[in-house]
Amino acid sequence: MADVARVPGVPAQLRLIAGLRWSLLKNGLRQKNNRWDLVGVIVAGVFGALLVVGLCFAFFAGAYALLAKNRASWMALLFWAIFLWWQVFPVFVAGFGANFEFKTLLRFPLSRRTFYLLGLGYGFADFAAVSAICWLAAMVLGAAVARPEVLPVMAAVSVLFVLINVTLERLIGSWLEKILARRKTRELFIGLFVLSMVSLNFLNPVLQRYGRAASPKILEYLPYLAWLPGSLAGSAVAGAVHGDPRAFLLGTAGLFVWLVVTSGLLWRRFAAQYRGEEISESAAPTPTKRNTASAAAAEEARGQNSNGEWLPLVPATVAAVVLKEFRYLTRNGMAFLTLLLPPIMVVFFTLQFGKGSALREHSLKPEMFFPAIMAYLILILISPAYNAFAYEGKGIQTYFMAPLRFQDVLMGKNLFLAALITVELSLSLALLVWRVGWPSAAMFVATIGAGAFAVMGQLTIANWSSLSFPKKMEIGKMKGQRNSGIAVWTALGVQIVVAAICTVIILAGRLLGNAWVPAMAFTGLTVAAAGGYAASLGPLSRLAEKKRELLIETLCR
Amino acid sequence: MSEIAIATEKLTRTFGALTAVDAIDLKVQAGCFFGFLGPNGAGKSTTIKMLTGLLGPTSGRMELLGLDFEKHPVEVKRQIGVVPEGMGLFERLTGVEYLRFVGRMYGLDRATTEKRAQELLEFMQLADREKTLIADYSHGMKKKLALAAAVIHGPRILFLDEPFEGVDALAAGALKALLGRMTERGVTIFLTSHVLEIVERLCSHVAIIHQGRLVAQGSLEELRAGVAGSEGDSKTLEQIFLSIVGQSGAEQARLEELTWLT
Repeated sequence: MADVARVPGVPAQLRLIAGLRWSLLKNGLRQKNNRWDLVGVIVAGVFGALLVVGLCFAFFAGAYALLAKNRASWMALLFWAIFLWWQVFPVFVAGFGANFEFKTLLRFPLSRRTFYLLGLGYGFADFAAVSAICWLAAMVLGAAVARPEVLPVMAAVSVLFVLINVTLERLIGSWLEKILARRKTRELFIGLFVLSMVSLNFLNPVLQRYGRAASPKILEYLPYLAWLPGSLAGSAVAGAVHGDPRAFLLGTAGLFVWLVVTSGLLWRRFAAQYRGEEISESAAPTPTKRNTASAAAAEEARGQNSNGEWLPLVPATVAAVVLKEFRYLTRNGMAFLTLLLPPIMVVFFTLQFGKGSALREHSLKPEMFFPAIMAYLILILISPAYNAFAYEGKGIQTYFMAPLRFQDVLMGKNLFLAALITVELSLSLALLVWRVGWPSAAMFVATIGAGAFAVMGQLTIANWSSLSFPKKMEIGKMKGQRNSGIAVWTALGVQIVVAAICTVIILAGRLLGNAWVPAMAFTGLTVAAAGGYAASLGPLSRLAEKKRELLIETLCR
Repeated sequence: MSEIAIATEKLTRTFGALTAVDAIDLKVQAGCFFGFLGPNGAGKSTTIKMLTGLLGPTSGRMELLGLDFEKHPVEVKRQIGVVPEGMGLFERLTGVEYLRFVGRMYGLDRATTEKRAQELLEFMQLADREKTLIADYSHGMKKKLALAAAVIHGPRILFLDEPFEGVDALAAGALKALLGRMTERGVTIFLTSHVLEIVERLCSHVAIIHQGRLVAQGSLEELRAGVAGSEGDSKTLEQIFLSIVGQSGAEQARLEELTWLT
């Protein structure tokens, strides 16, 4: 029999939860790797505080102005702003933040009711909730100053609104917890998230092109928003202000319905967790029993079982690394998505600046577009080379245990990246030709030459950077997924130098009046860069041996 | 006199002011099942890392199969297999893809790699997880795969860092049989484990490292004989181990203080 004197009550447990969240925040600061990380957090904290306080004034003034000028029906806008912030911001943060599995609290002796209340309490203790409550309080204050008789209604509606928001946020949060706990769904979620963020770039061109035509359609759907909490809260307040009891009662009743429904759904979610729902990776996938010998034969027949012979001119170890890189790419949703970026960006830039763009007077000629876009795309595509071992994890040990020269690993990685860049640039160039037309033959050849030089020239330094400043990254995570600071600065410095060289050569061609001079110059530079690359492999192999402890320690952490 | 598979001379590794491995002289005979024991932080993993090329020694020499590791790293690595601490797997590959990759990295041709990969997966009971990424394997499955990868090229020395940790009894039995067969064929197995019963059952020779220093080395009989007292012959490896690393009985005294637990 455990000698527990008594189980702490709900208030005491809520205090414990608040303490836990505070400790997590405090320890998160303590674990910052360097002072720049800490400075970043402090700056973000100050910025966050300013945002909350500044918007408190804005909400106060907004509520005051709307009620003082008898425009209470517009109060819905303020409620909507808070509603969107409260529901969207935590989703945004979920991908980046440390994922605390709330259900881990189930190891403690909690009743289902207490677990539910703690879950709600947990929802009150995050940045979105605290800031939203501050803004709502400011709104209530602003409304009360403008129309003191509205205070009871505003307060009651705000309390309901808070309860709905915290319940809905916890409901979405618990589903997100479930999604993010499993690797596949987590990666899919983050991939879609990034893609949607990239898609925002197209908002402006799309609005410019289709905005006028689409606005009547959008207006058609606006009335449906009246059934959502932001509109209902605004309607209840407006009804009270305008002496319209029907609007007030409908709004308040609607909020109650929302509260009951979201509470019921959240109760079901928490009940599933309480019963011991398994959401993590440890639930192993169902095995698919196959005859492996025949499966291998089938794969062989499909030609998918090759482990190097498909690259006849390179050693088997290099080919094995190339194949492994290919497989890693296809299983890294984020990296895979970055392959979509170049063609997307070509379409985006040509929509913005190409012929027929919204900014016709600033439209660029193919002569400028080709080298500019090529430089931009290489900038995007080559950046992973500066931290080429980021995703190896503990697998890095295999390279050091195997009987090979490390240059084989570097060559395999570089070969794969070069092939990938070639495919991506070919696709992007085809899109460019379609969107803006062909440049002159000389400029086309010069651009290709510049691209080859830029890639070849950077690979040597990128290899050195990968060995000297490794930084572990994890597939399917967003928090902290960036190269080390020195690798970033190295990449930036090299890219500036390469871009400057390319620009000078292209301008020299113009000054000399011979459009083929850049093409010849880039050919020479590419040959020289290739020679430098070949010569660097031996020393880099020795450097890898020297840096193996750093690599293993950093990547196996 | 049988061939020496592993020999170290004053092998030392320091990390700043800490000497993790302090001038150890190991001698492991070929074909021997060798247990390398020590308490947490004694220097076992550091020693294995040095012997497998994952960590450079600060000073001292290592010879494996008569080859100086520093002078012939590639030749040595070709003849050894390793299950390192953390297992060293590429978690975004499937089991069969990883074995194919490792086979090719060790210089096996495609057909041999394929055949051995399939056979090893069958033996390790991982063949039905053909499409599953290693990231989704359980700990025990990862351990079995790491062992399969360590033996795919037919090594002459096998280094195993805690090979049975997290492996179920059924699989552990199969692994032990596999390792036993390998030693019969002359493969040297160098194993670390915290489970002293396993070491006692499998290993013919044992070395004990404590605070970076080699404090005992020899066959189990030699170690028993070296333990003071008339009961030396009947002592278990655990008792020998505890007497050598200097268990003072302080734990018992501390346990007495936890009266509320009993």
